[in-house]
Amino acid sequence: MRRRARGYTMLEVVITLALFGVFLFIIVTMTAEMRRNEKKWPVNFFAHPEVGSVLARMRRDIYDSTVRPDNFETYSSSPLTLIVYTINNDGTAETVVWDFTTPGEVHRKAFKATLLSSEWMARGLPLFTWTTEPMPSGQDAVRIQAMDKEHKLAIDELIVPRPHA
Amino acid sequence: MRRSRGFSLAETLVALAILAIVITTTIAMFAERARRLRDANETILAFQALSNEAEYWRREPFAEIDKPDNQVFKSDASIIKPLAPYTTEVKVDSPRADVRNVTLIIRWAKREAHLGIARADTGGSGLW
Repeated sequence: MRRRARGYTMLEVVITLALFGVFLFIIVTMTAEMRRNEKKWPVNFFAHPEVGSVLARMRRDIYDSTVRPDNFETYSSSPLTLIVYTINNDGTAETVVWDFTTPGEVHRKAFKATLLSSEWMARGLPLFTWTTEPMPSGQDAVRIQAMDKEHKLAIDELIVPRPHA
Repeated sequence: MRRSRGFSLAETLVALAILAIVITTTIAMFAERARRLRDANETILAFQALSNEAEYWRREPFAEIDKPDNQVFKSDASIIKPLAPYTTEVKVDSPRADVRNVTLIIRWAKREAHLGIARADTGGSGLW
């Protein structure tokens, strides 16, 4: 009478479980490493390119600014509201309001005289604030900082307006 | 007639070898991606700190640049805390009497980022 196979041998089961264990160990180790990296870095600039786009626009506005008014229309200058009077490429001037008051959002509103000429916003951002930082030349730099949800410093950039004759 | 009731040793070994190659390649790609992402984030932070530091050195009075005790980082370096342990260095070369090349360096984990600026003696006009 022919013997029927009725299952796996102990050796087969042990080898299968050992292989499974090795793969599981590798996957868990790599996932833990990724999590450690994610926690270490306050902002993943590649996953959140909007952070860079905010800074790029803000740099241009501040480099070309001539004045930082304390008030404009209904806006008042504060760590969450930056107001700059800036020169455009075509030589005209605009008042630009950077509004960080909504958590996770940054709004840029540009005004020609008192008329809103353009509006831009980005979402999913760390909390931006700004202060001034004295430079050795006596000029004030605009210091842009941003904290992520866990209060880790994500952005810390000094931008000094260009000298205007 | 003999019936085939399983795989031969050669078939099993070839299958395992192919599986091992696929899994090893996938894991290696995964690890390389994580490493490059970490390197890129570190580079961004280091150059952000160097850029801030350069703003100070662009505006440092020309006569102060050569003073050895002045050749340290002046900006707030909180942004590069994730790179710890790190060291910073300021190197000043004098190619001409009225020119200074200032190189700002951050070193961490066998990596280095440096940013150089040239300063000219403009007689205190505020140009750089």
